[in-house]
Amino acid sequence: MLDFLSVFFQYADQWGPRLARAAVVSAQISFMGFLVATVLGLALALMRMTKSRTFQAIARAYILVFRGVPVLAVLLLLYFGLPGIGILFSPIEAAVIGLGLAYAAQMAEVFRGGFQAILAGQWESAAAVGFTPWQSLRLIILPQVVRIIMAPVIVTFVTLLKDSSLAALITVNELLLEGRALASEYFLPLHIYIWVGAMYFAIAFPLSMMAKHLANRANSRVRQ
Amino acid sequence: MAFLFETVLPSLLTGALVTITVTIASLALALALGFGLALLRQFLGFRVLSILIDIYTEYFRNIPALTHLFIIYFGLAAVGLRLSSLTAAIIGLGLVGAAITCEIFRSGFIAVKIGQTEAARAVGMTPMQTIWLILAPQAIRISLPPLGNYALQLMKDTSIVSAIAAPEIMFNARSMVTSSFQTTLIYTTAAMIYLLISLPMVHAISRLEARFGRRN
Repeated sequence: MLDFLSVFFQYADQWGPRLARAAVVSAQISFMGFLVATVLGLALALMRMTKSRTFQAIARAYILVFRGVPVLAVLLLLYFGLPGIGILFSPIEAAVIGLGLAYAAQMAEVFRGGFQAILAGQWESAAAVGFTPWQSLRLIILPQVVRIIMAPVIVTFVTLLKDSSLAALITVNELLLEGRALASEYFLPLHIYIWVGAMYFAIAFPLSMMAKHLANRANSRVRQ
Repeated sequence: MAFLFETVLPSLLTGALVTITVTIASLALALALGFGLALLRQFLGFRVLSILIDIYTEYFRNIPALTHLFIIYFGLAAVGLRLSSLTAAIIGLGLVGAAITCEIFRSGFIAVKIGQTEAARAVGMTPMQTIWLILAPQAIRISLPPLGNYALQLMKDTSIVSAIAAPEIMFNARSMVTSSFQTTLIYTTAAMIYLLISLPMVHAISRLEARFGRRN
């Protein structure tokens, strides 16, 4: 056991900086992918709330498709599949767009849950004091929705962060791919992948705790 | 067209069988282990064990499944424990899944009203009887919709076991791509097959939600 642990210290100065740099790439693609997912997800949630049948159908079909297709299939299609019809992405672009498209479906559901929790009276009273629908949404509804969905939003981000490891399979130099490169250089895959796992954990765990804390606080407020 | 029907589809459908097998096997492992952990965590009241179970769930929920698969498949092989890619896939996804289902079952137990326990005890049931006959059936019913969502997520997540060479849909797609370069066709067909598997699941989940969802 002690031998096993000493290996970590022995190679810390060689593995540490490289994996730290790769972790930054992981965080970057996750963050950018999450931005795309949030914007698109909000748009989809709003489309489902409009009266237009066409908009509703489009949003529904989008969510159904991306709920059913694995993120990996989306990434491989974007990066390897689209050049076949003349569309080229860099690995990072493909990862950000792919994660964004896939998680937009999930964010749309999160937003929908938030909107459903807002009482209709909020819209009506905003309209009654002369707000346009856009103003009501921006000034009255969205701030409340954001507070309600904070916990599921963080959970979704953590899931997205974990799935950003799939970008390794389309050659993005993120944490897991760097781990793989190190594993084939040093022939110590168990140590290296445990280190990689620890780095993901270091980012994800505090966020998960935060989400749990927020959810508990929301629950206790409901019970009062 | 002939290429699609004679080469791509047969290979991807063979892969789909592996996808379904891995999904069912790891789902079974996840459900059994997760339910056991939830029972221990919820009812045993043994501090050290509770902390260990919490460590287990947080460990598996905050690290990507692909990293777990690499640790199990490549990492353990390096210290002499060689697993086949299918075994590693099922164990890996099953262990990750147990962390998720444990949380689902636990919130199911928490959602059962406290009066149920009190009433069962009042009519003279032992704690074991209370858990098995009164609490577990209700908790499982509450857990069904989130479990359905988890199963769908798991089915999609089996695509990552292609990275440790388990011959499922995505693996077969990738190996055909390297020999034929028909990337757009192959990956689109693969996505369609996933969609075909998931549609009945989505339908089943919405029925579960209508029947057992918490809002009713």
